[in-house]
Amino acid sequence: MIDRLTAALERSRADYTEIRVERTWSTAVGFRGRRLESATASEDQGGFVRALTAGGGWGVAAFTSLDRLDAMVARAVELSRAVRVTPPIRLADVAPHQADAILDLDGDVRGVPIAEKKRLLEAYNGELLAVSDRVVDTVASYRDEVSEYWYVNSEGTALHELRPEVTLSGTAVARRDGTIEKGLESIGLRRGWNSVQDKAAGFREAAERAVQLLDAPMVTGGAYPVILDPELAGVFIHEAFGHLSEADFVYENPQAREMMTLGRRFGKSALNVGDNGAAPGLRGTLPFDDEGTPTQDTPLIKEGILVGRLHSRETAATMGERATGNARAISFRHPPIVRMTNTYIANGRGSFDDLIRDVQLGVYACGAFGGQTLLENFSFTAAYGRMIRDGHLAELVKDVVLAGNLFQTLDRIDHIAGDFRWNQMGGGCGKGGQAPLPVTEGAPHVRIEEALVGGDVASASG
Amino acid sequence: MIEQLLELARRRADGGADALWRQVERTSVAFEWGRLKTAGASEEAGANLRVRHRGRVGIAGTTAVDASPDDILTRALASAELGEELALAFPAPAPVPPVATFFHPVADASLDRLMAIGRSLLERLEREGCRVNVTIERETAETRVANSAGAAGAYRSTAIGVSAEVWRIAGDDVLAIGDTFEGADLPSDAALAALVGSVNARLEHALRVVAPPEGALPVVFTPPGLSALMLPVTQALSGKAVLQGISPLAARVGEQVFDSRFSLSDDPLRAGRAASRPLDDECVPSRTTCLVERGVVQRFIYDLETAARARTQSTGHGHRTIFGKPVPGYTNIVLGDGGRGTGDGGDELGGGLLRDVQDGLLVDELIGVGQGNVIGGAFSHPVALAYRVEHGAISGRVKDAAIAGNAYDLWKRVGGFGNDGRWAGSRYTPSVLLDGVSVARR
Repeated sequence: MIDRLTAALERSRADYTEIRVERTWSTAVGFRGRRLESATASEDQGGFVRALTAGGGWGVAAFTSLDRLDAMVARAVELSRAVRVTPPIRLADVAPHQADAILDLDGDVRGVPIAEKKRLLEAYNGELLAVSDRVVDTVASYRDEVSEYWYVNSEGTALHELRPEVTLSGTAVARRDGTIEKGLESIGLRRGWNSVQDKAAGFREAAERAVQLLDAPMVTGGAYPVILDPELAGVFIHEAFGHLSEADFVYENPQAREMMTLGRRFGKSALNVGDNGAAPGLRGTLPFDDEGTPTQDTPLIKEGILVGRLHSRETAATMGERATGNARAISFRHPPIVRMTNTYIANGRGSFDDLIRDVQLGVYACGAFGGQTLLENFSFTAAYGRMIRDGHLAELVKDVVLAGNLFQTLDRIDHIAGDFRWNQMGGGCGKGGQAPLPVTEGAPHVRIEEALVGGDVASASG
Repeated sequence: MIEQLLELARRRADGGADALWRQVERTSVAFEWGRLKTAGASEEAGANLRVRHRGRVGIAGTTAVDASPDDILTRALASAELGEELALAFPAPAPVPPVATFFHPVADASLDRLMAIGRSLLERLEREGCRVNVTIERETAETRVANSAGAAGAYRSTAIGVSAEVWRIAGDDVLAIGDTFEGADLPSDAALAALVGSVNARLEHALRVVAPPEGALPVVFTPPGLSALMLPVTQALSGKAVLQGISPLAARVGEQVFDSRFSLSDDPLRAGRAASRPLDDECVPSRTTCLVERGVVQRFIYDLETAARARTQSTGHGHRTIFGKPVPGYTNIVLGDGGRGTGDGGDELGGGLLRDVQDGLLVDELIGVGQGNVIGGAFSHPVALAYRVEHGAISGRVKDAAIAGNAYDLWKRVGGFGNDGRWAGSRYTPSVLLDGVSVARR
């Protein structure tokens, strides 16, 4: 394949050309309650060409029929020529790489019959249902894939990779009369069949939580000291800060550049944030990004100060910085755009107890049902919460929604514990019509000295 | 290709089969931060096969069009071995209604024409201190569906999407205001002017920031702003939700649940809409479905599978991609008896509803719509773009405000429908005034 792609590159009349080809085998199994919703196997294949001519724009072409390779290279070149860009698009230098990387398949999912995948999910789904007769419904899903990937560009980079992925998730719905509560377990790994065995405990806990929440009161809205558990802290840093650190947001927007000037203080000195696409064994990890740039650990906030951002080759060249290996595409259907990989709040010091010891009245917000950031505002729904009273964890509470302004909230992070962990969840990140992109988030427990918590807006205003 | 698949399936699957083949070509241009930057093209083709064998249903999909039909069928049969028993009946041949889905001006539009549309928007939207993104995407598609009962259909279709977004960053105040034209035919000059007018009007009003009001207040929702109020209703009207036992409307057919001026229908035969189609992805002919009439719940939407489970008929709402199995989904949702207009919307924000509001909000976009337990009707969202309304007029943009309420309660009494009906995505609504929405500062 590499030879075939290299030959196509040689026929390109552009100044820069890159070609990506992917062939993906995947299976998916879904349960709803006791009923199997679907069990399917799919095969997806296609290619993507991006070309740049002198003074021209990006010409891009995506296709599913590999017979069309040469025609699509020619089409991309023609599209590039049709667009005039001044000043011209430049790409930051990246040394050419040749690599053949078979990621650890950890039990190749292609060798496991789909009936066995169904049995595995049925067992986990059964764990959810067995917890209580109050669990009235479940949604459980298993998905795996192995993607064979080829990338070449006209600067001499040639890559071949075999990339596995497996995700597993289960939602338990508990009901009593008119009250409905949910518990969620989600696992996402760049691994294989072996890594999703023996996961029953997490499913049981999710269902137990849903049942316990039936008896939990709604949190009383208001401003509190809030401790985020590592999962929610990870989602928070990804959504609320990570997207602003993507350079395509700032590189050609002077006002945005000013807002995100390196050296600006974003938080107290305890706060260190980064994005590490090379961290071993994570879902957002790959040796190279989709422009052939090696991935790396990129510091974003150091002791509260903005020190870096995430780049593609184009945004890096425009801003006079170095490419960071963050140009990613979810598939051959899409161009690479600036994305996160594994985004983290770095470890602090001390234990969880140190964070809550001097909190008279506060909220411990755990897990994430969802979150959205729009511009500088965010809203996150925690899976559940515990009140903190006189320095100790107290009753379970539900409907914990955190809403606020990014800049204010980051600045109010005053204590970060030393219990860092990566959250190996399923799902993924969405941007520019490309979702879900496999990413990971990681954090220790994090304390925000004051944040607004409310399930019910009317009470939050009181 | 699907004829070949069905022919093979007839021999190996005892309960029949159906298949979809779709080929899509797209052309796009993107202006990034005020500069034309990218031109793109894509070609995609694939097939999806469903079989019923020994009473069980299985699915397989592929974009590897050179793959052997035998392999795809084998995968579908393997999927069926695990599947649950289902009395899925493939529909017999039936006449399909005429609907225009293919528009030559879209299919024939040159790259230069698409770029010219983008430039004309850019010129009219650029202003000091702001940056503009414009994307234009044109699509032509060919769809073929057929089943082993002899039903078949094929049609070509076009679609175009034109989006513009103006960004204004002043200090730490980030403002983004955008709008999108979506249709099956090229936008008229009037439609493009309406898009520009819509963005500029909302931007002008947003430059001044005022304090939000507080309390249970009248709130006008613009057509895009209405999502949080529409989503619970459309989710609850899906036959899938009814089957799952989670639809609050399940046992309420024939009951007056909404304001008597609230009527809702799904119309796959609407001219000029990208979601229109003569038949669905399971060979069921399209027809308009009245979901709610004058506040009374009429029926739910079904595809073949949910209809078989519910022991009813498909309403022609089968949606199918190359991968996965068909699911019930809407085409063009129309609120009210309107939707016959040009779709350009009125000129005035709020569609004439603001003059009755002494103190309240105009909501255009919310954060977090779709999160949480949507179908129950309760919502609570920070505003992304909203304006304070005082003494019948907009006084400025509010930040740091949130609204909450229950969609079913609010739809019981509607304060008024605006005269500004327009398409927002595949939904046609006017602005709507709802009383007693909880508004909080934060």
